Amino acid sequence: MKAPDSLPELPAHLRARILEAVRAEPVAPRAEGARRGALIVALGFVATTAILLAISMPNLRGRPLAYVEVLVLVWTPIAILATWAGVGRGRSMLGRSPRWLVATAVLTPVVLLLSWIPVTMYWPETLVDESETFHHVRCVVVTLALALGPFVAFTRLRRGSDPVTPWLTGAAIGTAAAAWGAVTLPLICGFTSPRHMLLGHFLPVLLIAALGGALGQWLVAVRANTE
Amino acid sequence: MSGQPPQRSACSQCTVQSPDDGIVSWLGASGVTTMLLPKLSRHVGVVVLMDPPALDLALELAAVLPRVARDTSVSVEQRGGADLAMERYAAGDSAAFAQVYDALAPRLFAYLFRQTRERSRAEDLLQQTMLHIHRARDRFIPGAQVTPWAFAIARRLLVDSMRRGRREILGDGTVVDTGVASSPRADDLVQASQVAVRIELVLAGLPASQRTAFQLIKQEGLTVAEAAQVLGTTVAAVKLRAHRAYEALRAGLGEIGVGSEANDDDPESNLAAGLKP
Repeated sequence: MKAPDSLPELPAHLRARILEAVRAEPVAPRAEGARRGALIVALGFVATTAILLAISMPNLRGRPLAYVEVLVLVWTPIAILATWAGVGRGRSMLGRSPRWLVATAVLTPVVLLLSWIPVTMYWPETLVDESETFHHVRCVVVTLALALGPFVAFTRLRRGSDPVTPWLTGAAIGTAAAAWGAVTLPLICGFTSPRHMLLGHFLPVLLIAALGGALGQWLVAVRANTE
Repeated sequence: MSGQPPQRSACSQCTVQSPDDGIVSWLGASGVTTMLLPKLSRHVGVVVLMDPPALDLALELAAVLPRVARDTSVSVEQRGGADLAMERYAAGDSAAFAQVYDALAPRLFAYLFRQTRERSRAEDLLQQTMLHIHRARDRFIPGAQVTPWAFAIARRLLVDSMRRGRREILGDGTVVDTGVASSPRADDLVQASQVAVRIELVLAGLPASQRTAFQLIKQEGLTVAEAAQVLGTTVAAVKLRAHRAYEALRAGLGEIGVGSEANDDDPESNLAAGLKP
């Protein structure tokens, strides 16, 4: 029977090697990083705006103006909250807890849906429209396009930062980005029936969350070749 | 000392007693031994009393048993030192990274070497871990704890490295011969080192989740809350995993006649001593 090997001392040359590698790869201090992060997020939203305008100018398409205004006003705080919960790391470098991330990914589309119900009930004429499968699919694609800017920005902010549950962080980031897509979509989509809203507006939130979860391992996980 | 009578173990030179309320005492031992044996007893939940010739053996055993010999308990000052150094580094003091390294590297290297059993690989993973910490300079959160974050990075890089199939780590229970068994007191040392090898084998045979939880808490000196952060789970789950590992360790040592009777009436007491969140 053999005895376990002893623990070697930390070699001195390793310290010099690592400090040299650090010097060879300068990283800006936090203040500059914060400015860069704000710029990245701003660019993400600029991209969303550009995509929105490229697809169509904002148009009521027969809906009451107040309906659109209230919907955007109600959903914007939800998107902000989802971004804070899903993209922010709280006070830990390890980010939010897995429970928190799961709650963000699951509850955001649910809250969006639940907050839409009283709005549409207040304007019952919006419960009926002539949307077809093509319109549902188009809104799914448009939501994906509108969420692309925030998604890229958020994942850039969190790139290589999660060593524990990157798939959950990716899902939460996807949800937050999709929430912004959902906020902007009513500006150009004239269909408001429950079927269309479920398939064209809420389903893509789940899809983007799933996409974020699937890409989390590559986008936000700590990896040997992350940088 | 405990009021319970000493129980003879399979080792002719060893006497096993239950710890008294988590306080481990050592009879007839030197000060150095007093420092070393409690570490062994904390791991196996027993107090080992030996005759004077066995004391030297214990010291040698401790020298070849990393998880026993190396004091990985970390003071609040050391933890705070890493946090403060990283804070200064993120704020713009480039020279502070050397202090971040000094505060973290020994513990991370010990952890990585225990997992890989390969010096060059542990060094490589340590370098990658420190570079990840360095790259997060521009997004370091003020007041964030550095230690659990650093261990989580190291663990992730280690797991990725394992997945890439570079080398099988642990699992097969193989341990490295350091040549200690060929010393002049080889017979006695072999007898004493049965405990050490048994610990190795039991830990190697545990599910990875239990082994990792146990190692992070008992070997690396992380609190339960920090280990929970590193593993991405709850404090309760980490306590349960570590407890199961602890029970398996006790059962494994019981098979060779060490510690099987120790403290059986209060299995939580030893655990509680080392599992404070």
